[in-house]
Amino acid sequence: MVKTITLYRPGFLAFIFLFLLGCNKDDPGGSLLQLNFDHTVGGVELNLNDTWYNSAAGHPFMVERLKYYTSNFALQNAEGELVEVREVHYRDAEKPDTRTFEWMEVPPGEYTALSFVFGLDETVNVHGGLPNTTTNINMEWPLPGEEGYHYMKFEGRYNANGAGDIKPFNLHTGPTGNNKNYIRVSLPFSQPVKLSGGTWQLNLSMDLSEWLQNPNVYDFEAFGAMIMANQNAQQVLHENGSNVFSIRKIEKE
Amino acid sequence: MNRIITSVLILALLFLAASACQKETASPPDNNSNNNNWVYNPTPYHLEVPAFFPVLDIPADNPMTVQGVQLGRMLFYDPILHKDGTHACASCHIQQFSFSSDPEVLPHINLGWSSAFLWNGKVEGSLEDIMLFEVKDFFVTDLGNLEAHPDYPRLFYEAFGEGGITHERAAKALAQFERTMASGNSKYDQVLRQEPGVFLTDEELNGYDLFFTEEGDCFHCHGGILFTDNEFHNNALDADPEAGQGAITGSPFDLGRFKTPTLRNIELTAPYMHDGRYATLEEVVDFYSEGLHTSPTADPLMKALPQGGKHFTAQEKSALIAFLKTLTDTSYIANPALSSPF
Repeated sequence: MVKTITLYRPGFLAFIFLFLLGCNKDDPGGSLLQLNFDHTVGGVELNLNDTWYNSAAGHPFMVERLKYYTSNFALQNAEGELVEVREVHYRDAEKPDTRTFEWMEVPPGEYTALSFVFGLDETVNVHGGLPNTTTNINMEWPLPGEEGYHYMKFEGRYNANGAGDIKPFNLHTGPTGNNKNYIRVSLPFSQPVKLSGGTWQLNLSMDLSEWLQNPNVYDFEAFGAMIMANQNAQQVLHENGSNVFSIRKIEKE
Repeated sequence: MNRIITSVLILALLFLAASACQKETASPPDNNSNNNNWVYNPTPYHLEVPAFFPVLDIPADNPMTVQGVQLGRMLFYDPILHKDGTHACASCHIQQFSFSSDPEVLPHINLGWSSAFLWNGKVEGSLEDIMLFEVKDFFVTDLGNLEAHPDYPRLFYEAFGEGGITHERAAKALAQFERTMASGNSKYDQVLRQEPGVFLTDEELNGYDLFFTEEGDCFHCHGGILFTDNEFHNNALDADPEAGQGAITGSPFDLGRFKTPTLRNIELTAPYMHDGRYATLEEVVDFYSEGLHTSPTADPLMKALPQGGKHFTAQEKSALIAFLKTLTDTSYIANPALSSPF
């Protein structure tokens, strides 16, 4: 059985908790873990709008927008215990301030893996499940009976026949009926990381090519520009989504 | 040693917490600092935000007051704001048309939730920022005219205290008034609030379903409770689009992008598009149905672009229009608090 410790932040209580910890001389104290997200295509940093990339299905494509949610970050130790932050994070490739997340006061320990949800689990993916902000409203998934939020908007254009037949694509992921389609991403560390205070940087990369190729080839022509109610397309992206993230580095400052 | 540092920190924290509990002592009301016995003791204004609307950001340095809102309302309707005295804001932003007018004047409605203004996004930031642009750059307000006026010096004093009349204060007052221009009492809102006896008709419901699914796919840009994403898109209006936001950013990728207008009160704000090219909602729906034009910056959200449009049936078109008309809030255009104070 996996033991879960859930931290709610931001919280004044966590602050007090820190001081109490500080009173115990043997306790090394928590760490600040800063998670930094970047976005790549085939390993090269994403350039919105003015770069055309190759897709596995053979249709060159460009990216105009990339917005998505990640949630429920957790660190796992060798005993399988999880330290979890039940939070939702919105990211927009155009807005650098959405690309980092400061995880305050990670308890000391030796951790072996990072996991998180790509998208939103069923506890928050309901109408009004997220704070009522214009950003969250713009991510609404209003299909009758399935109200919640888009997990991802990955939008751009592709060259359908190589001869300049430019068409739109919209990889909008979310639930269809009973298929919730959010993704539990698990990223084992190459070696255990001992967090014992201080500030740590953890760099994560989302490679957009992987949405289109690993393990399934996603063909814009086959799925067309709109896939919100197309579970076949959602399933392909659900399967590929486990492979889009990688850890680039984790190190102490 | 660690213990001492920790204790000091805890004490500091407790002290901070304790002092936070003290009521903020505002600068004392200024009752007699001028020759005219003007009083600076503004009354906080309670703004009623419509149900389900997102949190409204109000800058800390421009809290809403009864005096500020009233001053803003007067400035909105008074041509004195224009350097030549020829126009007021209300000359083009006419209440009966949801504060818009011919041919391409963006309506003033729910702008408190906006952070980029004008069709091309020329001004970004808060309502204070856009109103400062309007006062300083667009109307080129002559402060001397306001200073020489029999009432405005006192009204500015009552709203903002010592410091006289400035462009910034005029902008702040206008911003306060604009925040009161919130519309959320359409039939659609009444249905959302489950008010007794208010229901969408079958045709309106069909329009709703088209609107909020990819069948009609209006919602990606015009969705949410505000019926706008407040972003900029090229909606495939022209094969050779106008500059739009590109004129501001200088980026070729922004050519043809214009601000998404809210569809609230859309029935009242004809003509449509940034250049007012469509006279009726029927023409607008025909455009999205059959009239799209490809261009390099046409938005990916124009998903039916390769087919030239959504190709709605006649019933679908009229259902969409019927739904759009449920967004009309006649109480907004009849609201006496938003009407001319003169």
